Amino acid sequence: MAEPVILGIETSCDETGLAVVVGGQIRSNVVGSQVEIHARFGGVVPEVAARAHVESIKSLAHRALAEAEVHPDDVTAVAATQGPGLAGSLVVGYSFGKAMAWTLGADFVGVDHMEGHLLAPMFQHEGYEPPAVVLLASGGHSQIVHMPAWGTYNLMGGTIDDAAGEAFDKLGRYLGLGFPGGPAIDQLSSEGDRAAVQFPRALPDSPFDFSFSGLKTSVVNWVRKSRDSGEDVPVADVAASVQEAIVDVLVAKTFNAVDETGSRTVAGGGGVLANRRLRDRMAEEAAKRNVQLALPSPDLCTDNGAMIALAGQLALQWGRPSVWTGDIDAGKRLGHDH
Amino acid sequence: MRIVAIDTATAASSVCLGEDRGIKAMASRVDRRGHVPFLVPALEFCFAQAGWKRSDIDAVVVDVGPGLFTGIRAGLATAQGIAAAAGVPIVPVNALDVLALRASTGRREIWPIVDARRGQIATAPYRPLPGGVVREGPVQLMKPDEFQAHLAARQSDALVVGDYQALGEHVLHDTRHVKFGRPRYPTADLGMELAVSTLESGEVPLADDVRPLYLREADVAINWTDFRSEGLA
Ligand SMILES: [Zn+2]
Repeated sequence: MAEPVILGIETSCDETGLAVVVGGQIRSNVVGSQVEIHARFGGVVPEVAARAHVESIKSLAHRALAEAEVHPDDVTAVAATQGPGLAGSLVVGYSFGKAMAWTLGADFVGVDHMEGHLLAPMFQHEGYEPPAVVLLASGGHSQIVHMPAWGTYNLMGGTIDDAAGEAFDKLGRYLGLGFPGGPAIDQLSSEGDRAAVQFPRALPDSPFDFSFSGLKTSVVNWVRKSRDSGEDVPVADVAASVQEAIVDVLVAKTFNAVDETGSRTVAGGGGVLANRRLRDRMAEEAAKRNVQLALPSPDLCTDNGAMIALAGQLALQWGRPSVWTGDIDAGKRLGHDH
Repeated sequence: MRIVAIDTATAASSVCLGEDRGIKAMASRVDRRGHVPFLVPALEFCFAQAGWKRSDIDAVVVDVGPGLFTGIRAGLATAQGIAAAAGVPIVPVNALDVLALRASTGRREIWPIVDARRGQIATAPYRPLPGGVVREGPVQLMKPDEFQAHLAARQSDALVVGDYQALGEHVLHDTRHVKFGRPRYPTADLGMELAVSTLESGEVPLADDVRPLYLREADVAINWTDFRSEGLA
């Protein structure tokens, strides 16, 4: 049998991601980022995102196919994100992908965005396999998932208020670093002292859940007190200390889950996993326990079409049928398909 | 020339296949949230009815609004997907042009309406001509009361078509010189009829230039209320 040629489409939020994956290998992975558009508004504006997707998706699809040197007729399946995400954005990629697959006579499969992140480590880590614990953290989601077998996902914990990336973005904005705050804090932290301020590590009773609202309040209070006393606010130190607080919590909870499940592999996905301090700390903790660390490279941690293509390919291999009647599912929960 | 036409700009969804100025198959449904699951199964049904192969497509016609943003984007993205796969052009049509086309009247000025949400309608004036209509003013957003006052000021007999229920009872009852008529929604067969001459002239736009007709800037209000403070910004 010929190798599957999958066009993957990701439009759940503010990145228009189109990729071609052939036999499990990435042939092309193009991302039309809207960061500059949304930076003007200080955050992702759903209607702005949906408008940008529909303007760029067709030319990005042509580019992904051209870079992969794949003719549309050779595509065996199209996979598009079905949810969770912003409804107006999901509609664009999902409709485009379904119509393209149908016209080509290819299969079509709607993919869970989170499953895309969960499977993305496979591209670069040959030994990545269940049982594994995976930290998923971005501006829109923060979860710890236990994957005891391929295609089986148990949600162990997650944020009870803001997502980790949202906390980064809001605090970055508060510190005057613009949008998105995560990369800006990562950058500035390298010049700061991460032990400068001991911000609280919110650890609710559940060993696998986290919360960032207390951290935000504490940062606001600290900055206000410092300014009221007439001192210059040491922004780099605050940024580094904020980052350390968020990273501490994410790492502690993730490795609680590793210890609890006895997993021999720990992985991650989502934009927050591009954070250098988080990657370093996960590597340290994994080494201490002698478990395998399977983090995708930063470009495959952020939203992209390649992970959707791979998840789509596996879904078809695992027996999910190609159907034309499906719809997007903006509130989709992992492991629940319809 | 084999044409696929799509209209999901309003609460109604329709797909139509046409060839040689005739309709080969059509499917439609009214469900303002049902655009996405409707489209491809409707195409599948129509292709089976017409006995077409997917490789037969020569062009795609799509209603780009004004109308429901998500419906418009579902239709346009579907048209783009077909066009990307088949390597064919996309011809956009305006929802108000589509509505006015079939509003048969001899002399009344035609005002097609689509519900633009947020208490507004989108509309424009058209004059009937033998064999068609011509748009005589800009497409604009109006509140029902503004529309009523606008019609009253013009003093001429008017025919209002489209989703005139969106105007509300008082406008429907208290507006003189005005008749209300069909069609209620723009449909793919009418869009195709409009687009045929564009296609035959060969002056189709570049696919990247085909965009939704929004008439309204995106609402950029971001909810920062849970973290409102002076900050360092
Ligand atoms: Zn994501």
